[in-house]
Amino acid sequence: MIKLVGRQLAYDGGRTLFVSIAIAASLALVLVLEGFEQGLYIQLKNAVLNRGGELIVTQSGVTNFIASRSVLPQMSREQIEAVDGVVEAHPMTIVPVIYERHGRKTPIFFMVYDTAGGPANIVQGKPISGPRQIVVDESLATMHDLHVGDTFVVSNYEFRISGLSRQAAAMFTSFSFITYDDLIDFYFNSDLVGDIMNLPLVSFFLLQLEPSADPARVAGQIEDRVPDVDVFLPEQLAANDVELGRTLFGPVMKALLSVSYLICLLVIGIIMFSAIYSRRRSLGVMKALGFTNASLTLATFMEALLLTAIAIPVSVLLAQSTGWIIETTAPLYRIAVTEPAPLLRTLVAAGALAALGALLPVRIIARLDPVIVFRA
Amino acid sequence: MLRWSLKNLLTEPLRLFTSALGVASAFTLVIFFYAVFKGESEQIVAYPKHTDADVWVMQDGVSNMHMASSLLWDWKQTRVARIEGVAEVSSILYLNTVVSAGGKKWFSYVVGLDEDMSRGGPWEMAEGKALPAAGEAVIPEVMARLTGIGIGDPISITDKELRVVGLSRGSFSMANSVCFVSKTDLEDIMNTGGSVSYILVKAKPGVDPGELAQRINAGVEKVNALPAGEFVRRDREMAMQMGTEIIRMMTIIGALLALLIVAFTAYQQVTGKQRELAIAKAIGFRNRHIYVSAVFQTFVLTVLGLLISIVVSYTLIPLVPALAPQISVSISHEAFTRVGLAAILVAGLAALWPARKVAAVDPMSVFRD
Repeated sequence: MIKLVGRQLAYDGGRTLFVSIAIAASLALVLVLEGFEQGLYIQLKNAVLNRGGELIVTQSGVTNFIASRSVLPQMSREQIEAVDGVVEAHPMTIVPVIYERHGRKTPIFFMVYDTAGGPANIVQGKPISGPRQIVVDESLATMHDLHVGDTFVVSNYEFRISGLSRQAAAMFTSFSFITYDDLIDFYFNSDLVGDIMNLPLVSFFLLQLEPSADPARVAGQIEDRVPDVDVFLPEQLAANDVELGRTLFGPVMKALLSVSYLICLLVIGIIMFSAIYSRRRSLGVMKALGFTNASLTLATFMEALLLTAIAIPVSVLLAQSTGWIIETTAPLYRIAVTEPAPLLRTLVAAGALAALGALLPVRIIARLDPVIVFRA
Repeated sequence: MLRWSLKNLLTEPLRLFTSALGVASAFTLVIFFYAVFKGESEQIVAYPKHTDADVWVMQDGVSNMHMASSLLWDWKQTRVARIEGVAEVSSILYLNTVVSAGGKKWFSYVVGLDEDMSRGGPWEMAEGKALPAAGEAVIPEVMARLTGIGIGDPISITDKELRVVGLSRGSFSMANSVCFVSKTDLEDIMNTGGSVSYILVKAKPGVDPGELAQRINAGVEKVNALPAGEFVRRDREMAMQMGTEIIRMMTIIGALLALLIVAFTAYQQVTGKQRELAIAKAIGFRNRHIYVSAVFQTFVLTVLGLLISIVVSYTLIPLVPALAPQISVSISHEAFTRVGLAAILVAGLAALWPARKVAAVDPMSVFRD
């Protein structure tokens, strides 16, 4: 039977190619949406992991890095650095601000760092090397047509762009990196100079440990000695942020994916329906020769599965290309098409959809009268 | 010829309906995507929109609430109260942060209220009291439902544990649920004192909020005062702008898929009727007529898909929040305009391929076989 199906597909190669592309396009939509969701989680994960540090210290009770306010007492740095195994505690803080240029407003996060935690992937220009410099993400640069060397004004405070970073964003919000010296000046420039202690200065400490130190043991010791803090492995904090992302975006992404799966099912259904409808005569001949409804239905299933199997690599290629176009034109988004788990899930679903789609023309096969072959 | 095209399409109603459903799904996906962003943007401005203030006063350089951080000295509230035309002032403290409830976490607007405040609190209550005292919190009813907690249960913001005393309505969204706590608790959480985030100003009757905002900006240093309408508009605009690019991409992807489905269906119609087309050509129909027929077929199919997507969008999308309360949706005419324009393009482009096939049909083929 499989030989027959194979020959059928090979007989009209042009059509086979076209329908495979059509199935691939609908599958690519699923892969792009899956990739979009995975991209959101990867960005959240990388926001933590790209900061470096073998342990991350937060305010007690704060279990997230992004979207969470953490304020650490500055005195805690000395206490943390006094713990055995800790080489240095690098401070960093995250400040949400609104960037406005030519009337267009964009929320951004200032990632404020001192000796660690700066931009991980600078694709243009150079890291910060002096006062009033800033590294912005290329998504913000694309959105506002910014270039290395341009001025960058936030709340009347003027920076100069020293470099552009790649994929430094999370939750539809890009990161811009500045140093502590500039944060202090930025605050002094605002209304709250007299009460600077009220402002978030240290949100996290990124800990550098001695090579022989056991991170779990050091974390325990810090939490015992410094009551106002919690200590996490970067992977734990990243997992917490990803979980928060799943709570926020999961339901809507599920709804969008359901619609895209429905599209996929309909496309396969239309293709199989058209294929069977146009082959009524030859199917009539086969029925006249003794093929049963069950065997012809099985052949339809096989055809649908085979077409889907041909479509799968094309769909991955299409989805990758679409992802590349989206990431190039709007670098704020990441489309992670080839993440193993969602990719596998989509491919398994594709097989199930092919089987379901093949059900649509079953009625035609069942009603087909072998006598058709003797008519005109 | 057009009648023949229509008849041709209607020969196989199941195929026509399935194809139209495919096109409709692609369009519905775009409309749904847009509805989610619009719904979310509307929810993002739910708090300022429902707050009974004529003018909002905030830190200089800040002009909205979403993802913003504003801090003002509290004595500025007294200065604002003295400005001519001001009837009443009150203030809130505000923080964007994560709220833990029932083992889950939500990104929230946390609003700190004075216990005797007449504005700035929840605008509709489902249960319990509206103004939280120290150690208490009012959370969205939807958040309570999703996390399985209720009145009397604890929630935590950083390391501060608070007890739920009220459940509010209309204050939940995926990106920013609004939780209300006492100002003293939020000061404690933010480790701040003597500061407020926004001053809410009620104007005297007959006073124009725009003019009053100008007077406040001139009379109080380092503040930004905006009429309520302008404040809400800026927040909504910024929220929508965050999704503009991805909505545009989804429209293109949805339109391309619809294009593929329409083109494939029309192509199948043409290839199945090559004999009839050859006869039509043989009896004198020109290619031009047959092209028009191809465009007509794709147009009918696309319009049918568009109509189904509109019906589905108006009937099914509003049901989404009942099934998934965390999703806010708002269907707008803008989405239909966008999809409608895409549909015209789809119908035109999809006809090209079958038209090419039609052009290749040889009238002599009818005399063969």
